[in-house]
Amino acid sequence: MVSPAIALAFLPLVVTLIIRYRYYFVLFYRAFLVRVWQDCATGLSREERAFQYVLTNATPGDPDSILEAFDQWCSKVEFISNIGPKKGKILDRLLMEQSPMTVLELGAHCGYSAVRMARCLPLGARLYSVEMDQRNATIAEKVIRLAGFDDDTVRGPSLKMHCTVDFVFMDHWKKCYLPDLQLLEGSGLLGKGSMILADNVLFPGAPNFLRYVRKSGLYEWRIHQATLEYIRGIRDGMAELVYQGIK
Amino acid sequence: MTKCGVSVLTTGDEDEVSSCYEEHEWGKNRVKGREKEREKKKRGNARKKGASRAGRGDEELEERAERGEKGRRRRKRDNHDGKGRERDEEEQAEEKSGRAQEERDTEEGDAKRKKKNESAKREEKKEDGGKRAVKEKANAVKTKKHKKKSSEEEDVEEEEEEEKEKELRPESLSPEELEKLKEAVDEKKKLIQTLRGKPWPMKKKLSTLRESQEFLEKYEGALGKGKGRRLYAYKVMMTKKWMKFQRDFENFKTACIPWEMKIKEIESHFGSSVASYFIFLRWMYGINMILFGLTFGLVMVPEALMGRPYGSMPRKTVPRADEASAMDFAVLWDFGGYAQYSVLFYGYYNNQRAIGWLKFRMPLSYFLVGVGTVAYSYMVVIRTMARNANESGGGDDNSFNFSWKMFTSWDYLIGNPETADNKFASITTSFKEAILEEQESRKDDNIHLTRFLRVLANFLVMCCLAGSGYLIYFVVRRSQKFALDGLDNHSWWERNEVNMVMSLLGMFCPMLFDVISTLENYHPRIALQWQLGRIFALFLGNLYTFIIALMDEINLKRKEEEIVKFNMTVWEASLYNGTVPENSTAPPVTIHPADVPRGPCWETMVGQEFVRLIISDTMTTYITLLIGDFLRAVLVRFLNYCWCWDLEAGFPSYSEFDVSGNVLGLIFNQGMIWMGAFYAPCLPALNVLRLHVSMYLQCWAVMCCNVPQERVFKASGSNNFYMAMLLVILFLSTLPAIYTIVTIPPSFDCGPFSGKSRMFDVIQETLESDFPAWFSKVFSYASNPGLVLPFLLLMVLAIYYLQSTSKSFKEANVELKKKLQMARKAMTQAAEQQSNNNASPQAQKGEARSFLWWSEIGSSGIHGKKKKKKETFRALCKDLNVLL
Repeated sequence: MVSPAIALAFLPLVVTLIIRYRYYFVLFYRAFLVRVWQDCATGLSREERAFQYVLTNATPGDPDSILEAFDQWCSKVEFISNIGPKKGKILDRLLMEQSPMTVLELGAHCGYSAVRMARCLPLGARLYSVEMDQRNATIAEKVIRLAGFDDDTVRGPSLKMHCTVDFVFMDHWKKCYLPDLQLLEGSGLLGKGSMILADNVLFPGAPNFLRYVRKSGLYEWRIHQATLEYIRGIRDGMAELVYQGIK
Repeated sequence: MTKCGVSVLTTGDEDEVSSCYEEHEWGKNRVKGREKEREKKKRGNARKKGASRAGRGDEELEERAERGEKGRRRRKRDNHDGKGRERDEEEQAEEKSGRAQEERDTEEGDAKRKKKNESAKREEKKEDGGKRAVKEKANAVKTKKHKKKSSEEEDVEEEEEEEKEKELRPESLSPEELEKLKEAVDEKKKLIQTLRGKPWPMKKKLSTLRESQEFLEKYEGALGKGKGRRLYAYKVMMTKKWMKFQRDFENFKTACIPWEMKIKEIESHFGSSVASYFIFLRWMYGINMILFGLTFGLVMVPEALMGRPYGSMPRKTVPRADEASAMDFAVLWDFGGYAQYSVLFYGYYNNQRAIGWLKFRMPLSYFLVGVGTVAYSYMVVIRTMARNANESGGGDDNSFNFSWKMFTSWDYLIGNPETADNKFASITTSFKEAILEEQESRKDDNIHLTRFLRVLANFLVMCCLAGSGYLIYFVVRRSQKFALDGLDNHSWWERNEVNMVMSLLGMFCPMLFDVISTLENYHPRIALQWQLGRIFALFLGNLYTFIIALMDEINLKRKEEEIVKFNMTVWEASLYNGTVPENSTAPPVTIHPADVPRGPCWETMVGQEFVRLIISDTMTTYITLLIGDFLRAVLVRFLNYCWCWDLEAGFPSYSEFDVSGNVLGLIFNQGMIWMGAFYAPCLPALNVLRLHVSMYLQCWAVMCCNVPQERVFKASGSNNFYMAMLLVILFLSTLPAIYTIVTIPPSFDCGPFSGKSRMFDVIQETLESDFPAWFSKVFSYASNPGLVLPFLLLMVLAIYYLQSTSKSFKEANVELKKKLQMARKAMTQAAEQQSNNNASPQAQKGEARSFLWWSEIGSSGIHGKKKKKKETFRALCKDLNVLL
């Protein structure tokens, strides 16, 4: 039988762990516990709830208002891992600088980043957005329609393009970053100077992707330090790669 | 090739010389190659002749390729010869071939330049045709001789011949030429001296240096006149040999320092703050070795060899009741049983005045060693502190914040790319922070919040300390209750509760402090000092609670002892009463020593407690290391392949090396040693063992499972901080030890001082019986308060005087610094004015100079030499005068 005094001596350790990793506990609570609870209570999926909120709170046809409504919902009500306003600014800036004509988005989720990007694109540019989940894809489609953009959403693996892609935004499964990047390289969709922006490379993190990028020598790369969307205190980063072509 | 400021003749010569030299060297190389061959054969390497010869050919080819590097090579090879070719020749050859590849490029460049030179100076060369002719003759002779070398037997003689040639040649020159040669030699010497300040690229500097050194090596010996020449050459040779020997000796010395390479490697990976911990550990190891030598050589070994053997008397025998379990591992692990009744503890020692045929004064030696270890520790710590204080100091961090950062923030010992990246990032952030600080210091709006947070943090820490203190107090009280009940009725956990709780609190509370200290937002260096202070308070509180509990226990034991003493007399009386009437003529009844009743011997109890504490502390440290660092690293590394987030960059990640916690652990461990060493002579030995193991274990752990700190900072200032803490701990740990020695009477039936009323009576006894009468008289006079008090007063006065003088020196230094600053301001103003007037070259010069001063000031700040600062200041004033 362990004596209570020894158990009490572990108290500082517990307190330390709680304080040090408080943000992770908050994240766990908001992203998992609340979600499970709400799923059971309402019977709707998280994305559908978000869409309902946006429908009631945003002005149709105004992308900024829709984005704001999303931000509001994600920071106040529940948590969805959109790109968020802070990292979104970096994305906006890069798009403004680059002004790409063809943009490929991997992982549309509920259309937040698609709206965000479409807002900053020059006239005549095309945005291809890919989403794996059927339900999310319909919601994303609705959101994009709501924002007043032409519906360009392409579903499934039927993606076929003739030209190269100028800008790729990756925000899907972190495990798929590396295989998809290699796929892009192999398919010849990347031209010299194409930019690839990968979100969440530090948290949840895509170490293999980063390792590959560092080693391959095909890219000029840098990491934008930021914090995780809608949660303070968790460090995250976006990797910006510029394809240099095979030398 | 040298192009700068060397006379035409010299440059002309140079080509010639170098070509000659090549020849010469070429021959030599071949000779060497053959010698290598022979060596190999001698060593009996089972190699075939043909193959090795082919190998030699290869080697020669390689050597031919690397002529650009000859000077260095040759020195190295000479060096090699001197050492008697101990190293494996093959290895060197491989190394050479590797380097030759690198050298080839530079060599080609050199050759091109040479050609240009030649074409440009051909005309000039023609003028000294006579000289050339002489040289060519010599050259011709040489080449002939080289051609002669065909058989392997001749090589030694050939070398001799070559040397002769070298010496002979200058004689063939006319005095004029000799004069010129001398000039050239002087020129080269000057060049070597001033080379460091020349604004050339490093490659050029190196090549020039090498060439000049070759030139000097070749012709310096030849310059003496007539008879003195040989002597001169001999002298030059000897000085060179001597210098080489000194250099080798230095290398040897560094190779002899234990763990130097390990520490250097860690330093290159983790920066100097982590390395400073290991240096501290090594230093501690050295001190403990000496303590161990003292106790082992003067106390333990004499008692074991010359004292009475085990079982001869009650204090040296395991009591009858414990005999059955005396050899059990659990008992031995707790240092009971046979371990308790051995030289490891105080109680085993006999109070016999002199032991063995040496008449070794055991009790006196025991006492003096106890005092001597403490005195030695004080001496060493204070001496080291004084030395560190001399080295540090001088630089001020406040006035030139940005230039300090600019010029001095790189840690040149870093040799690992990752650490270098971290350092780079930390410098950048420190610049950013410094700029922000500058801005904020003008605004200072949020000062109240910061203050509030700092006070809050300290309050939390206080709460934490109080809580841990109370927990230990509670546990100690409980353990006393357990002790009264009898320890056998309780589980292992309950018996070891005190140690466990102390170790756990010592492990976890610093982590909590670390978390709390993020509230305060201090600079990491200051934060580290706060952290150290807090952990210090925690450990000290824990230790003193422990000691207070021990004191209670001592008092209990002494009460018990009184009872035992009384019982003893009764027992003895009954024994004799029972035996005497039966048979009065028979010898007195012999009782086996194990049956004799005995007192509790509180000294041994104290020693045991300390030994147990040390053992449990060591165990906790190692287990923490293995679980907290190694296991975590393994998990992070291998679970990362199949986990949903990045374990390495994200949540658990690898641990950083905790400098402050480790240093404090070391210091407190040492404090316990100092406290307990008097009652358990085995403690220094245990500590040496512990330090030795932890040196290897921690070196391994730090290299294998820790990552460099994110904010690498230099630890130059913190060494004396450690020392100061060590001094405080030394004082605080000797306090209770001395208190017990002076106030509590020793046990009546164990230890070297049994039977005396106080432990230090042994000195009195020795003075009376071992020294002549006059000596004890003198001693008693000297210890008279009338003499001691004035002496103390004098010492205090002397200390006061020295302190005030040092203060005045410091003030003078500050004054000088101010003047320096003023002068600098005036200087820059003047430079600005001049550049405003017209951008004359002088103004530019002034600017350049001011920059130079900047760097000089920076460097003098780094070295912290007052004298140099003054000199710089003087030079600055002079230049100012010249300029204005």
